[in-house]
Amino acid sequence: MNVDLKNIHFSYGSVKALNGVSFSLREGATGLLGPNGAGKSTLLKVMLGFLIPDEGEGRVLGYDLRTEQKFIRQQVGYMPEDECYIPGMDAVTFTSYMGELSGMSRQEAIKRAHDVLFYVGLGESRYRLIDTYSAGMRQRLKLAQALVHDPRLLFLDEPTSNLDPAGRQEILELIREVATIRDISVLISSHLLADIEFICDEVVIINKGLIAASGRIEDLKMINYQLYELKIKGELNSFKKELESSGCRVEETEDRLIKVYTPPGFDHLEIFRVAARNNIQVRQFVRSQTSLEDLFARVVGVD
Amino acid sequence: MATIREKGYHHWEGQLRDKPWNFWPITRTGIKLAFERRRFKLLFVLSFLPAVIYGVGVYVSERLENFKFMAQGVDKTLQVNPGFFRSYLTLDLIFFEILLLMSLSGAGLIADDFRHKAIQLYLARPLSKSDYLLGKAGVVMFFVGLLTLVPGILLFILKLLFSGSFKFFLNYPWLILSIIFYSAFLMIFFTAFVLLASSLSNNRNYVIAIMWSIYIFSNVLGAILRIIFHSPYSALLSLKANLDQVGAAFFLVKPPYDYPWFLSFLLLISFCLLAYVVVRRKIRGVEVIR
Repeated sequence: MNVDLKNIHFSYGSVKALNGVSFSLREGATGLLGPNGAGKSTLLKVMLGFLIPDEGEGRVLGYDLRTEQKFIRQQVGYMPEDECYIPGMDAVTFTSYMGELSGMSRQEAIKRAHDVLFYVGLGESRYRLIDTYSAGMRQRLKLAQALVHDPRLLFLDEPTSNLDPAGRQEILELIREVATIRDISVLISSHLLADIEFICDEVVIINKGLIAASGRIEDLKMINYQLYELKIKGELNSFKKELESSGCRVEETEDRLIKVYTPPGFDHLEIFRVAARNNIQVRQFVRSQTSLEDLFARVVGVD
Repeated sequence: MATIREKGYHHWEGQLRDKPWNFWPITRTGIKLAFERRRFKLLFVLSFLPAVIYGVGVYVSERLENFKFMAQGVDKTLQVNPGFFRSYLTLDLIFFEILLLMSLSGAGLIADDFRHKAIQLYLARPLSKSDYLLGKAGVVMFFVGLLTLVPGILLFILKLLFSGSFKFFLNYPWLILSIIFYSAFLMIFFTAFVLLASSLSNNRNYVIAIMWSIYIFSNVLGAILRIIFHSPYSALLSLKANLDQVGAAFFLVKPPYDYPWFLSFLLLISFCLLAYVVVRRKIRGVEVIR
């Protein structure tokens, strides 16, 4: 296991940020999903050893969270969400500096800095001052500094924030390529579900400091609910109320399409029975392809 | 022949090492970045002017007969003794130059990292807070040491060379230690002073203002209170006066103010400890709570 957390609690004063988080992370790419304030960044910072948990235990790459943070940080690459850099440096100096601080020799760090800067697409502008870089270039630079020491585990916090669609796609493809390389695992914290779906096979959904769901995205979609799309004729309110009382979630789209999310083990014929009891005519009934958005909305309980 | 590799990500084949001097790249980079400022280079060169003048003084003191025609009474005023070294190391101009150099190279040491949220980049590496602070402290110590320790020792060596004997050394065998320890004291004090100021704001211009205000205001306040109350203890409020007082003790000369030197020493050491506690608390991997 790359990460193994058990019952992690963490509070900022009286505000509980993590409330008994337990999960394991295998190789490959895993998405860390959650609404704002769910505890994603706090969890990443606990795993990096920036924050010491109030309770619970955990290991990252086999090293203890409380006592061996130094070894964890040597093996982990971290791409922060914030726009952060050291002014007055060019990209080669900055990236090699970060490599040296990770424990590389100066010459090796410089050599490696050139390699990763070419890899992230900053090869041509690697001698330019970082201060003159655009937001997209700085985002690539943050990825380069996270990769310079060839980490075994990569923590990426909102890697596509501040990027235009083309830049976002390029960064996602770079990350996906890294994630497919053997021996490097990637944990991506994001609120952009499309990014997670593009890169990750597995997902951990966190809400209010608790793990709401975790596992393979495909499996979770199957396990957690089924989605049916209906077109009906008749009064929606009573139909909706009765379905919701049986544990379903019902949404109406702008084009009057009714989406019914059913809980595990729910017999879909019950929808017809409820419709009949409420004098509703079902004119269309389709079992829909579920998306990560649907899973997220269902698990976190938001639209 | 260079290796031709496929495009894409490649593993690095080296070995990461746990270095005992983890802070050194931070110090080296800080010094290098300081020299990349053009104004700094000019100031840096000019700041050695007092040392050169004192060096000339050492030379003249050994060739008094040759220079008597130029200035009468030079043999009385130009005596190279512990007081000579103390006067160099407590010179107003030296402290002024240290602050000037620190305004360009030290003010942004922590402030710039706050401004550009770079602390988390450092602490995401296998570095402790102490490594980070030592690295930053090394930059200040380097420049303060270049203006105090290096000229102090060079002046001592020049005195021995120009006199052509070890008589001066035998007369004051402890003097070299006084130079080293007082310079080290100045290095520690200015490091604490600059890093504290740098951690109080994320704007380097404010940091510069803080540094100069504290230094000038404390000196002015000390002088005003001395005039009003006629008490030598008023000098305890002045940074410069405290440094002078401690300097006199290190060089075994009469202190300039009529109160025990260790009060100044304790005050300055307490300031350094307080600065360390404040700066350490300010350095955090987590800057924003979400």
